[in-house]
Amino acid sequence: MPSEAAGEAADAATFKAMEAGATKLRRGTAMRSDSTPSKARSWPEVGHLAPIVLSTGLGLALCSLANALSRATLEPALPVYWIGILVLALPIFYRLTASEASARERLILVCLLGLSLYCVKVFRDAPLFTFSDELIHAFNANQIADHHHLFRDNPILAATPYYPGLEGATSALMKLTGLSVYAAGTILVGAARLVLIASLFLLFQRVSGSARVAGLGAAIYAGNFNFLFWGAQFSYESLALPLLLLAMMALAEREVAPKQALRAWGAPVVLAMMAIVVTHHLTSYAVAGLLVGLSLAYWYVHRRWSPPNPWPFAILGILLAAFWLFVVASSTVGYLSPVLSDAFDAIGNTIGGEDEPRGLFQAGSTSVAPTPLGARAVALAAVALLAAGLPFGLRALWRRHRRQPFALLFGIAAVAFFATLALRLAPAAWETANRASEFLFIGLAFVLACACVEALRRRPRDRRTRPLIAAGIGLVLVGGAISGWPWDSQLARPLRISTAGETISSPPLALAEWAEEMPEGRFAASTADAGLLLVPGGKMALAGSSPPIEDVLDEEELAGWMLPMLRRNKIRYIAVDRREVSSDSLRGYYFSRRDKDEGLRPPSVSAKFNAVPGISRVYTNGPITVFDLGAQR
Amino acid sequence: MRRHGDLEAAVGGAAVCALLALALPFDLLRVLVGAPLLFFLPGYAITAAIFAHGRIPRSQFLVFSLGLSLAVLALGALVLNYLPGGVRAGWWAVLLFLVVLGACRGAALRRPKRAPAPIAWTAPRVNGAQAGLLAGGALLVIAAVVLAFVPLSATNALGYTELSIRPLEAGAGPGVRVAVGSGERDDSSYRLVVKFGDGEGEASSRIALAPGQTQVLELEPPDNSPAAMSGAVAIPVTATLFKEDSPEPGRPFRQVTTVIPPGEGSG
Repeated sequence: MPSEAAGEAADAATFKAMEAGATKLRRGTAMRSDSTPSKARSWPEVGHLAPIVLSTGLGLALCSLANALSRATLEPALPVYWIGILVLALPIFYRLTASEASARERLILVCLLGLSLYCVKVFRDAPLFTFSDELIHAFNANQIADHHHLFRDNPILAATPYYPGLEGATSALMKLTGLSVYAAGTILVGAARLVLIASLFLLFQRVSGSARVAGLGAAIYAGNFNFLFWGAQFSYESLALPLLLLAMMALAEREVAPKQALRAWGAPVVLAMMAIVVTHHLTSYAVAGLLVGLSLAYWYVHRRWSPPNPWPFAILGILLAAFWLFVVASSTVGYLSPVLSDAFDAIGNTIGGEDEPRGLFQAGSTSVAPTPLGARAVALAAVALLAAGLPFGLRALWRRHRRQPFALLFGIAAVAFFATLALRLAPAAWETANRASEFLFIGLAFVLACACVEALRRRPRDRRTRPLIAAGIGLVLVGGAISGWPWDSQLARPLRISTAGETISSPPLALAEWAEEMPEGRFAASTADAGLLLVPGGKMALAGSSPPIEDVLDEEELAGWMLPMLRRNKIRYIAVDRREVSSDSLRGYYFSRRDKDEGLRPPSVSAKFNAVPGISRVYTNGPITVFDLGAQR
Repeated sequence: MRRHGDLEAAVGGAAVCALLALALPFDLLRVLVGAPLLFFLPGYAITAAIFAHGRIPRSQFLVFSLGLSLAVLALGALVLNYLPGGVRAGWWAVLLFLVVLGACRGAALRRPKRAPAPIAWTAPRVNGAQAGLLAGGALLVIAAVVLAFVPLSATNALGYTELSIRPLEAGAGPGVRVAVGSGERDDSSYRLVVKFGDGEGEASSRIALAPGQTQVLELEPPDNSPAAMSGAVAIPVTATLFKEDSPEPGRPFRQVTTVIPPGEGSG
């Protein structure tokens, strides 16, 4: 333990280093514009913020209106939605290109952007979780809140209870405030989003020495494919990724801190790493990999392993992740290995010509309307813009930041991002590429922000530069949203509707509400129905192919193996849903529409249970029928 | 902790928040007092302890306060899992208070005397026009939230009718509980026919439901039916619902079945 005097000297040195950093920022023409305002002129940025807050509010209102129109099955919802997104984001992007904005104003702007885009996702789903992963994690959180212990079974994704960071934190909110899992989870992920975007800004600011690069980098990051929807869901990565960025931000600060202050800056890194390891498997491996890369980059730049080279953190990250994987969460191996091995096989097969390449914008089901040509063009133009900016960004990065290990890592990540785009052509590698993009886009955002600021520096008097850059980031945001989430699912669908002053739930939700009133008993159901049976139904519900529940539900005749298999898995109720969309974990929760044809399975998929002795038909709402196989004795 | 007003305030605030979060009866109030304890104070105290001797910029301090609070919540459940009683509200309150107390104590021991608080708050100065724009933005956000949470009429959504059946609870005698629920878009009228056993008895009811309404009926087999009298055999029950305002009112619209287990008879 260092003495108090030594610690005092260390932290005083940290403070001096921070001050020096701030002074450095104030040097030079471009840097001067990024300086922190003096105390005497506190919050001068309100003048610019006020109209931007108004436009953000207007954009959010338009997005909410678009979702409301979509829930009411009225048009024109999508044009209103995209206009809302642009009204929300473009003023922020434009202001971030300005040279006179202070660092604090830029930080407030990116926080406003991050939270507003999170609200777009919340408005789509309120007041229930409707992403399949959300229902799985909400079930885990309810299990912790109800039974007061972690690591309880999850019938759909067995690995998830062994990463209880998110659900444990949610249970704290539920227990101490009485909030529902939806409200608690939504608030918690919102707080995590704030940490994500603010940490990203501070990380980029430290690495680049420029608040303008930091602001633009954070804004470009919002254009990553998963930012708007997938990364904003109530799922373990939504907490783990912000913690990763918090740790990276502390490491970047540690890099410039004096020797005596290294321990202080290491403490938040260790705390965040521990929290990541108990929260999400892939992020814990990403932290370990990133720290290894950073250590090597540090060695490459400085030719030394002594502090602040972060190799001890890399070792710690590997040990923590390995301990958790092999001692606590060994079922993760069985969960992740098929995903990764299928991805490798798919890459080989696609390159070897054995498999057809996956079509871009390809829906999982033929009943889903294809993405319109205009939308595809926007998405592809966004990727083309990212690719076009990459060489300029890499050149700027090499010229200005090549002595920064973090910057080198960002450059490598930016190039690797485009390599993962190629993986999207291999059918089974698509998911792996999609997951990796969220991490790699951090580097790409930094590189492109360097390119943007370089362009702004070179053409300070050209009035077209700032609007063009803001519009370009707008294109990346919209294109990313189109690439990352199916076109037909950008907006809400009717889940609960109002009629004659009463609220009625969609048939799958009505099933879940009925099940909630039932005594104990495990269910087997289609993917979407099973999700709602977990939450809000509160029932153990099995779905999918292992055990082969979907075969039992799809077949028109009852095969000899089916009932023994169901009984072996302690299934009491089987919910047969004739809607083909019930197998779709994105679209299966909602009301059917009279103006759209819906695929139905033949009546025999349900009728096959009617004549079986000992099986009762205990619930029906038309498309969905529940059969009681009888209590297990 | 004396002489360090921010640390005293953090510990005092954590104690008050913890007690009120456990004691207050209304969820909204509990959210208001629970939020600082969950999302700010643990991270603030830890950051103050880590950087007790030097000051870090306010923005970083605030981000660490929120981010490390989330880390404490993620790790906290793991600690509480192994305490008697497990993850409970009381334990959460105690854990978070102890984290704040311990970290503030550490910060107080390490922080130089008369050192200023790590965060100096400055109130924003806004003129009338700016206040108007900010208020306008806030009102639009509130309108957006309200619109997002209000169920709306969906003209093209297809309605449905629910029918369910289950035997009465053990000890309540032989009988079934039948529920008919309307998820239809308009008022609907039905005829429900419940058959007990093989021709042993039949009950029929007319039901009119508004959208969103559910009617629950508890029906018993006729007293003179052999199965009800003996109570020794299981009684199969079939409930059939006819929709009277459909084009084919005589055609069964929904049907459910169950079995009243033996031993529930009156005999």
